[in-house]
Amino acid sequence: MFLMPTIIVPVLMNVLVGFTMHMEKKARTETLRYAIFGEEYLPELGEVFEKEQGFEKVNISSPNDINTAIASEEIRFAIVIPETSRQQLEESNQVTIRLYYNNATVASMASTRAAKAIRVISDQLRNERLTKLGFDNKQSRNNLLNPVTIEEHGTANMREILGERLGGMLPYLFIIFSFMGAMYTAIDIGAGEKERGTLETLLLAPVPRCQIVLGKFLVLFTTGVTSALLCLTSIGLILSTKGKEVTGAMQEVLRSIGVIDFVLVGAMLIPTAAIFASLLLCISIYARSCREAGFYCTPLNMVVIVPVVIAMLPGIELNWITALLPVMNISLAIKELLKGTMDYLILAVILGSTFIIAGVLLAFTTWWFGREAVLFRE
Amino acid sequence: MIEVKAISKSFKRRGKKRKGRFESEPATVGSVVHALTDVTFTAEKGMILGLLGPNGAGKTTLLRILSTALNPTTGTATFDGIDITQNPLEVRRRIGFLSDNTGLYGRLTAREMIEYFARLHGIENHKLKRRIDELIDLLAMREFIDKRNDTLSSGMKQKVSIARTLVHDPDVIMVDEPTTGLDVAAADAILQFIDSCRTKGKTILFSTHHMHEVDRLCDNVVMLRQGRLCFTGTPKQMLAHTGQTHLDKAFLTLAEAVG
Repeated sequence: MFLMPTIIVPVLMNVLVGFTMHMEKKARTETLRYAIFGEEYLPELGEVFEKEQGFEKVNISSPNDINTAIASEEIRFAIVIPETSRQQLEESNQVTIRLYYNNATVASMASTRAAKAIRVISDQLRNERLTKLGFDNKQSRNNLLNPVTIEEHGTANMREILGERLGGMLPYLFIIFSFMGAMYTAIDIGAGEKERGTLETLLLAPVPRCQIVLGKFLVLFTTGVTSALLCLTSIGLILSTKGKEVTGAMQEVLRSIGVIDFVLVGAMLIPTAAIFASLLLCISIYARSCREAGFYCTPLNMVVIVPVVIAMLPGIELNWITALLPVMNISLAIKELLKGTMDYLILAVILGSTFIIAGVLLAFTTWWFGREAVLFRE
Repeated sequence: MIEVKAISKSFKRRGKKRKGRFESEPATVGSVVHALTDVTFTAEKGMILGLLGPNGAGKTTLLRILSTALNPTTGTATFDGIDITQNPLEVRRRIGFLSDNTGLYGRLTAREMIEYFARLHGIENHKLKRRIDELIDLLAMREFIDKRNDTLSSGMKQKVSIARTLVHDPDVIMVDEPTTGLDVAAADAILQFIDSCRTKGKTILFSTHHMHEVDRLCDNVVMLRQGRLCFTGTPKQMLAHTGQTHLDKAFLTLAEAVG
């Protein structure tokens, strides 16, 4: 419960971000081996590849071997220039150069980097043609090629943009932690107690059953909320430490997420953890064994995950309808808080309704725990 | 003194009706199972009362009702005049329950386990250590008192379970098949313990399947069949009633009797 949010998740996030950045840098800077056929028909293109850094020419015997050479990673891409290229260019026609690469390798930037080099020649030849037509400066060429242009003015600030992207992922982590943090403990103190026979001895102690329920509920609530808050704290610490390393707009964004925002996120996780604690306790005390409890917890896990995932979908916004949907409203509210666009009236309604649901569920759990058919189910 | 007054207990049947049930099991009417019907008996102070019956006869249900874990559908019982339905917490303060399932928390030590239940019974701190020391000496638990329960042998676990049952010095002790799964020495220790409780004036309700245990310990017996009381009296009266010379045979005669 403590290791996951405090060490494992931050370490995994760091490793994931570091690995992604490393892979992207590698894809951008690695030396790409290539083959070129028909270079004599367009020698300018061969010169561009020789001048550009990060390309290494490899000779392969025939264009028929291109696929094999790419599959064996002897080369990363191949270019085939048609025989008629020079003639086509002289007649002001279009030349089609074939670019072969492995398009199943998503992370590879081979095609992008090769296409960029080819575009250098394309732009050069286009400019020559336009100069012959009298368009001898950059502005006049641009006016010819783009008679109408768009100047976009996004109204969202950087925090909103980042919050929209990150804001879906973080509530998922917080909510899942508040659920998973309590789940295994719930199985142990409900079905586990039944299985070991300790529940019956506990019921025979001179303690009212509502106190036993409350005790078990508080254990689950504490583990769930602690797990979620530890996750929140560790992510807050990552953002505050990593925030010093980044510069520019991103630094402004990270600085604009204040302590109050994190406190409000934490405040919403409290009733959420209470709801999960009640539901898990009901399920666990109903089950006859830990195995059966685990079996019942799996669909509940789905019931928790689905609204959180729906809240991550594009177009799902916090409004007065989604504010009334449990779990999804928490997820959307956390997103809004991170974006800095929270409507605090809706936030108050969400907090209030979640606390009410948590209270009703706790009352239900107490009633449920008092039922003989549940405690002594056979 | 325990007075059981016309206790009945019915459950709603859940799920499909099972086939091949024992003849001794309780009567079923529609979707309702009558686990106990009109059970009445008394147990005097300082008496060991054997609770007998075939599997499914209602012994465990009766013990659960008397220990206030379950509520009777009708009827009631009193412990020294305290009603189990009116004042269950007070009844729980006066009873100790021991079963074959030791019901111990594996990750606690024997001492922590006993302390935990002592605190649940409201034993004050200054009395707690003395009481635990008494139980350690009484049950010869010193060598394993600080070991975790999940590392103990069956016999040791049963001793911890007895200590848990006795920690609040209950007037009434209910024992549900306590020797199941124990070796001869451990089972004998349990039977000696039950006998010693009688000499201390405690009332003992003793559910068992072993007739030699009944012969050795019980002052009186009550026998259940299909949730109804089919015999109450001393073991000798049980023999006379059935015309048998051994309690095993007498038990079988009563268990197989029709009506």
